[in-house]
Amino acid sequence: MIENVPVPSPVKFILNWGRRYSLWVMNFGLACCAIELIAASTSKHDFMRFGVIPFAHGPRQADLLVVAGTVTDKMAPALKRVYDQIPDPKYVISFGSCSNCGGPYWDSYSVTKGVDQIIPTDVYVPGCPPRPQALLHGIIKLQEKIAGEDIREKWSGQLTAPSSGP
Amino acid sequence: MASSPRPLPVPEIESRLRARFGDDIAEFSDQHGHAVATVTPQRYREVARFLKDEPDLAFDFLDFSGGVDKEDQGFEVVTHLYSTTHNHHVRVKVRLPHEDPHCPTISDIYPGANWHEREAQEMFGIEFDDHPQPVKLLLPEPFEGHPLRKDFVLMSRVAKPWPGAVEGEEEEEE
Repeated sequence: MIENVPVPSPVKFILNWGRRYSLWVMNFGLACCAIELIAASTSKHDFMRFGVIPFAHGPRQADLLVVAGTVTDKMAPALKRVYDQIPDPKYVISFGSCSNCGGPYWDSYSVTKGVDQIIPTDVYVPGCPPRPQALLHGIIKLQEKIAGEDIREKWSGQLTAPSSGP
Repeated sequence: MASSPRPLPVPEIESRLRARFGDDIAEFSDQHGHAVATVTPQRYREVARFLKDEPDLAFDFLDFSGGVDKEDQGFEVVTHLYSTTHNHHVRVKVRLPHEDPHCPTISDIYPGANWHEREAQEMFGIEFDDHPQPVKLLLPEPFEGHPLRKDFVLMSRVAKPWPGAVEGEEEEEE
């Protein structure tokens, strides 16, 4: 019966407020975009200002997965595995054209045409590679999304349940 | 070092190869200061060993070896050799038929050719006979086809044609 009672909005606000400013990030750098991701983590751009903590020591400690670079069909199973190892609630930012849609490798025989074919993706950051500022913008967009979330739905794990992917 | 560091002129390389292999050097040219020799597949290994062992040539470093799909004219295996003692280059080309191309391996002469030949094998389907480990190098094991062949079908391009101009067929801008 308790499941049917809506979460009181102050509780929802406080929980989401806490979650959105403590995002341990899992670095999945695959190409030049990874350099921009690392630049965003260092002192000049400093995404710790936004409560993004670089870098989780493993997927089991992470909240946020940033896929930065070219995902190939050969790498895709490893990415899927890392994603499945992250505990709920979890978020994915696709960083750069390659991981968004294949980018300049749109007709390649080996490149996956978008990371969202493998794992559910929350925010797409366009660019080739995007500047660190673009990632900061993406993080803010993600935090806005987290702020509006129904935590019960997110916690249930049904949104991100492991599928029988590659 | 006993040998001279001076590069051997391209005509000198040609005369040495022709003296040893005669008509099996099908073509020879000078491309940007590099000697380019086309040899028959049967004598490819002999040529490689000669280029490596001859003191005046001493091509001791394999720069690369790869395939080229020339469609109607079959395949070509191009091997670029360099001499660290003489500072000169040579490219050895082997012409192969488009149907069932076979090429002898030189990975026992130049160990560096091992992975290059595996790559050419998976990308072009050129079989390197007597290769010590003739398995895929870069492609995932279940991959079917040879993706660098010109007739390999790219599914994305089937769904959507190439949006830009094809190289060499661009319209001239006024």
